[in-house]
Amino acid sequence: MSGRIEQAVARAVSSATDAADAYLRALEAIGRALGWEVAAAWEPEEDGEHLACSVIWKGDADAADFVAQTMSSHFVAGEGLPGEVWTAGHARWIVDAASDRRLPRREAAAVAGLHSAVAFPVRSERGVVGVIEGFCATATDPDAELLERLEVVGSQIGQLIERRRAERSGATAELRYRATVEASLDCVITMDHRGDVIEFNPAAERTFGYAGEEAVGREMAELIVPPELRERHREGLRRYLETGEPTLLGSRIEIEATRRDGSRFPVELTITRIDVPGDPVFTAHLRDITERLRIERDLRESRARLVKAADEARQRIERDLHDGSQQQLVSVAMTLQAAASAVESDPAVARELLEEASAELRSAIGELRELARGIHPAVLTEGGLDPALRGLATRSGMPATITAVPKDRFPAAVEAAAYFVAAEGMTNAARHAEASRVEVAVWRGDDALEVEVRDDGRGGASAEGGGLRGLADRVAALGGELEVRSPAGEGTILRAVIPCES
Amino acid sequence: MARRILIVDDHPGFRRSAARSLGAAGWEVVGEAEDGAAALRLVPEREPDVVLLDIGLPDVSGIEVARQLLERSPGLAVVMVSTHDRADYGELATASGARGFLSKMDLSATALEALVES
Repeated sequence: MSGRIEQAVARAVSSATDAADAYLRALEAIGRALGWEVAAAWEPEEDGEHLACSVIWKGDADAADFVAQTMSSHFVAGEGLPGEVWTAGHARWIVDAASDRRLPRREAAAVAGLHSAVAFPVRSERGVVGVIEGFCATATDPDAELLERLEVVGSQIGQLIERRRAERSGATAELRYRATVEASLDCVITMDHRGDVIEFNPAAERTFGYAGEEAVGREMAELIVPPELRERHREGLRRYLETGEPTLLGSRIEIEATRRDGSRFPVELTITRIDVPGDPVFTAHLRDITERLRIERDLRESRARLVKAADEARQRIERDLHDGSQQQLVSVAMTLQAAASAVESDPAVARELLEEASAELRSAIGELRELARGIHPAVLTEGGLDPALRGLATRSGMPATITAVPKDRFPAAVEAAAYFVAAEGMTNAARHAEASRVEVAVWRGDDALEVEVRDDGRGGASAEGGGLRGLADRVAALGGELEVRSPAGEGTILRAVIPCES
Repeated sequence: MARRILIVDDHPGFRRSAARSLGAAGWEVVGEAEDGAAALRLVPEREPDVVLLDIGLPDVSGIEVARQLLERSPGLAVVMVSTHDRADYGELATASGARGFLSKMDLSATALEALVES
C-alpha cells in the first residue's frame, strides 16, 4: 500500500507548478489512498515560532467549519497535533480526535464527523520543514507500520518540494536573465565552443541587421567580424580551448565590426566565459561607439582650432602693430629728426616737418585705438553689451540697428562671445554679403543669452568659413550653439544661444 | 665714396623719410622699391652702390633678397633695416652677407656711412 502512496505522491508532485500546488497534489494523493476526508499541510510562519496551515484538501465530507477553523489556526511548538509533530519530529496517531481534550479543533472535528487523525513531519535536508495531517471519518487504532511509512513519505515530499522550489527559483533567475538581455542597450551575443551563435539579443538585431533566429546557429565570426580578422578570431578561440589561456577574455577592447550590409563601425567589446558545466560558452557585450568617437574627435578638433585661432590672433596683432602704428612711429621719429636738423638752417622747412610729424602721430594714435578695440573693447568691460553694441553699430560701415539689448551684465566670457557674434555678423554683412542693412537683437532666454544678427545681403555664407567656424568654437566652448542660416539670395541670419545662469 | 642708394621697403612713410634724410646729407637716391621682386629688377638697372633693404618684405624675406643680390653683384653694399632691433635680426642679417644691420630708429647718413665704409 505504502509503495503505492509513494508512487502517487511522486507522480502528483512531479506535475506541480509550484510548492503550494505540489503540497495540494500530495495531500490529495495520500488522502485518496488512505481514505481521508480532510488533509492539511502546515508550514512554519516567517517568525519561525508558529505553524500555519498553508494548503488544505477536502474529500467528500461536509467539513466546511472544520476547514475554516484549520485554515485560521496558528500553533506554537507542541500545540495541537501539528505543533506536537513539529516538535517531536515523529508521526502521531490519534484514535478519536473529536474527543481528545488536547486538541483545540476537537469540537469542529466532532461536528464534521471526523475521528482518527494522523500527522507526520515533512523533512528535507534542512530538517522538519512542515507537517501533514489527515482526518478520516472512522475511529481506527494506530497502525505502526503505516506511521513509519508515512514518515518516509514525508521525507519524499520534503525533497520533492525542495527540488521544485530550486527549479522554480532557477526558472525565475532564467526569466530575469532573459528580461535583462532583451532590454539591454548593449548587444549581447553568446556563442558556443564551436564559435556558433546561440543567443542574439534585440540590440544586436538592431545593430547588425540580422533577426535573432537567422543569427542563431551561424558562426559568429562570419556574422560580425570583418573578413580580415576572422581567422585571428577563430585562432584565438582554438588556442583558448586548447590551452585555456585567454587573449581577449575579460578585457575591454575597441575593434571594428561589420553589419549585414558589409558596412563597418567601431565597437567596444568585452567577452566573458559563462560558467556552465560542459563545453565553454562565451558571451560578448558590444556597443556601437561611432557617436562617442565622433564626439571625441569633434572635441579634439575644436580644442585644436581654439588654440590655433588664439595663435593666429596674436600673429595678426603683431602684424597690425608692426605694419601700422610701429611704422608710423618710426616715420614720426625720422621726421622729427629731420625737423631738428633743419631748425637753424631752414626754419620754414622745420615747421613743415613738425606739422607732418604731428599729423602722423595723430594717425598712429587712431590706429592704436582701433587695434586695441579689436583685441577687446574696453567699453564692453566697463559698460556691458548695451554701449558696446551701440558703439559697434555707429562705427559700422552700413546702416546697423540694435533692436534689442539687455542692460544687465553677464559673465565676461558670455558678453565677449555675444559681442563677437554681433561684430562678426556686422563685419560679414558689410564686407562679404553686399547687404544694405543689418539688425542685431540680444535677449535673455531660458538660462541663456541669445544673439541674432540678420542682414539683407546675398546669403550663401558658410558655417565652415574661418570667421564663423572660430566663432562657433568660441560659443561651443561656453556650452552654447551657433546657427548660420544663409540661403543664397535671401540674406544671412546668425543666431547664437550662449548658456548663462540667470 | 659711395653715394648712390636704392631704398627697399613696403612702407611708403619710411621710404619718404629715409630719402629725405639721406638726400639732405648728400646721397643720391637712385630708386625706391616696395618689394623683393622690384628690388631685384631695379638693382642692375639703376646700379646703386648701396641697397637699404627692409627685412620684412611682403613677397619674400629681405634676407633672401640680400643673398640673391650679392650672388649677382658681389661688390654691392647691402644694409639691412628693420623696426625690430639688432638683438632680433643683427645676426641673421650678417649671415646673409649684408654689410650690416640698422634699426630704423637709428637710421642716419652718419650711421649708414660708418657701416658702408667699415
